[in-house]
Amino acid sequence: MASEKPDRDTVLDVTDFLYREALALDERRYRDWLDHLADDARYVVPLRVTREGQADWEVSPTSRIFDDDKRTLTLRVERLETDFAWAEQPPSRTRHYVTNIVADPGERADELLVSSNCLIYRSRGDSIEPNFYSIARKDTIRRVDGGLLLARRYAVIDQSVINGHNLSILL
Amino acid sequence: MATRPIGSGAEAELERIREGVPHGRFPAHVFNDQEIFDVEQERVFAKAWCFLAHESEIPNRGDYVTRYIANNNLIVARAESGEIHASLNMCRHRGNMMCKSEMGNASHFRCSYHGWVYKNSGELVGVPYMKEGYEGRLDKRDWGLIKVRTETYAGLVFGTLDPNAPPLDEYLGGFQFYLDLYLKQGSSGSEVHGPPDHWVTETDWKIAAENFSGDGYHTPVAHQFGFNLGYFASSGSTHSQGWAASIPGRGHGIGLGHTPGFPPFAGFPEELADEMRRSLSPEQVEVFSQTRTAVGTVFPNLSFLMQPFSIVPGEAGVRFVTMRLYHPIGPGRTEMYSWCLVPKDASEEYKREAYRAYTLAFAQAGTFEQDDLENWARVTRSAGSNMARDVEFPYVMGMDSVPDPDFPGPGHVVKPYVNDSNFRNLWSRWSDYMTGRE
Ligand code: FES
Ligand SMILES: [Fe+2]
Repeated sequence: MASEKPDRDTVLDVTDFLYREALALDERRYRDWLDHLADDARYVVPLRVTREGQADWEVSPTSRIFDDDKRTLTLRVERLETDFAWAEQPPSRTRHYVTNIVADPGERADELLVSSNCLIYRSRGDSIEPNFYSIARKDTIRRVDGGLLLARRYAVIDQSVINGHNLSILL
Repeated sequence: MATRPIGSGAEAELERIREGVPHGRFPAHVFNDQEIFDVEQERVFAKAWCFLAHESEIPNRGDYVTRYIANNNLIVARAESGEIHASLNMCRHRGNMMCKSEMGNASHFRCSYHGWVYKNSGELVGVPYMKEGYEGRLDKRDWGLIKVRTETYAGLVFGTLDPNAPPLDEYLGGFQFYLDLYLKQGSSGSEVHGPPDHWVTETDWKIAAENFSGDGYHTPVAHQFGFNLGYFASSGSTHSQGWAASIPGRGHGIGLGHTPGFPPFAGFPEELADEMRRSLSPEQVEVFSQTRTAVGTVFPNLSFLMQPFSIVPGEAGVRFVTMRLYHPIGPGRTEMYSWCLVPKDASEEYKREAYRAYTLAFAQAGTFEQDDLENWARVTRSAGSNMARDVEFPYVMGMDSVPDPDFPGPGHVVKPYVNDSNFRNLWSRWSDYMTGRE
C-alpha cells in the first residue's frame, strides 16, 4: 500500500474525473457514465438510521438502498432507455455539486480512496419544491492506462427518512 | 381514546360512500382529502390492529424501535422478561419524548428534561427529589408510560389503541393462511434482513394499500419495462391468471398470480421448499406451490409482496419478500417503511441474493417500485383537485365472478387474479370503520 499523499497532479486528475462523471449524470449521458466505472465496480448506498451517539453504528451494516454492480447498473440504464421507465418520464433535472474532495492512498497501489461531499438538486415536472440530497461519498478510484475508473462508490445520504417519492436518479 | 364528532353532512357523505362500494363505486377525493384524513386517524387507525414491528427487529432484551399508530409515536421494546411492550413515547411528567432514536438497546429510559426514569416496559422507577418535592403525593405506580395493547402473529407485532378491539386472531379472520406464505418459509420462520428503508412520499396510504391488496392489473403496463427487458416468467398474455382472495368483512386481500407450467415452488431453494411441504398444511402447499406472485394487504396499512426475481432477466432467480408499512402523515402524504424478509433457515448466500433482488426491484430505488411511486404521486395529485370531488372510480371488475369451488384456501376467492373483488372488500371495510361499524 502506497502511503504517500497523492501529488497535486493526481488530485487534479481525480477532481476532473469526478466532475466529468457528475456531468455525465446531469446531462443524462448514462452510457458515458457507465464508461467511468471499472468492470468490477461496486455501487453501494447504505441506509442511515437515527441512533444514540454511543450506538455501535448509525449507517446500517446490512441494509442498502442501492447494492449494485456494473451489471445491475447497466440494467438500470437499459431500463431508462426503454419507453416505459415511468419514474423518469419526464426526466428529473439533476445537478450534482461535488466538493471537499480529499484523496488518499488506497488499499492497492493503483487505487486512491477519495472522499467527497455531493449535494444533489433534483427538480421534477412543474413542481417548485426540489428534492435535495446531501451525500457523503467514499469512492475508490483506480488508475488504469489512459485515465481513471470508479472501482467503488459508497455514498451515504445524510437523512434517515429520505425525501422524494422515489430514487430514480443516480447518486 | 375519545373520538371527536364530525358534522352531519360529513357523516351522510361517509354513509353514501359506504353504500356505493358494493355497487362498484368509490370516490376519487378520499385519496387526498384533509377531512377524510382527520376522520381516518380517529376511526380507522385508533381502532384497528396496526402493525408495529417484526419480532426479529428486537431480538434481544432491551432492544427497541420507535413506530407510530396514527400520529402517536410508540416505543416497542423487548423487556427484561423477554416480553414485548408498546408504550407511548411521552414522559408522564411534562411530556418530553423519551426515545429520540429509531432503534437501540436500553433497559431503562431516562427523561432528558427532569430526569424521570422508566423501565423499558414502561414502569416508572425513578423520580428526582421524590421525598423533598412530592412529599408522598406521587405514587409511581400511577405514572408509568401509557401502555398500548399488543398481540403477535408469526413474528408480526401489532398494536391497537382500542381496548375493545377483538383479539388479533379474530381480526385477521383466516388471513393467516395466506400470511404464512411470507412468514413461515421454513420452520424457524422469517426475519428482517435489516432496518427498513424509510422515506416520505406524496402518496396517499390508501393507494398503496389497494395496489398491494392484489392489483395484478397494473403490472403489464406500470412495469412494462420488466416485460420489455425479459424479467417476468409470465408474459402479458398470461399475466391475468391466478386468484384474488379476500376475507369478507375484514378488509384483507391477496392476489395470487399463477403462470401456466410454472414449476412448483420455483425460485425457493430445494431444502426450503421441502420444509414448506412438511410444515405447512396440505391446502397451503397446494396454493403456495403454484403461486408465482403473492401480493397482499392486511387492513389497514401493512402489505407484503413475494415474487421470484432474477438479477439478470431470464435467469431462474430467487424469491424475495418485501413487507411494507404505509404510515399516513397527512392527506396524500405517507411515510413508507419497507423491509426485506428472509427465511431464517436459508443459507447466507440465498439471503444475500434475495436481498439484492429486493433492492434492485423494490423500495425507494427499486426499478419496479420507482414506477409505482411515480404513478401514485400523480393519482394523489389528481385526487386533490376540485373537480375530483364529484368523480367516482369504477370498481366493477369481477362483480359477477362466482367463488372458485376448487380453491382450497379460505375467504372469498375468485378467478382471475386481475379483479376488483379484493378492492371492494377493502373499501367496504374502510367504510365500516369510517361510519363507526367496526
Ligand atoms: S418531562 Fe420528563 S421528567 Fe419532566
Ligand atoms: Fe407495482
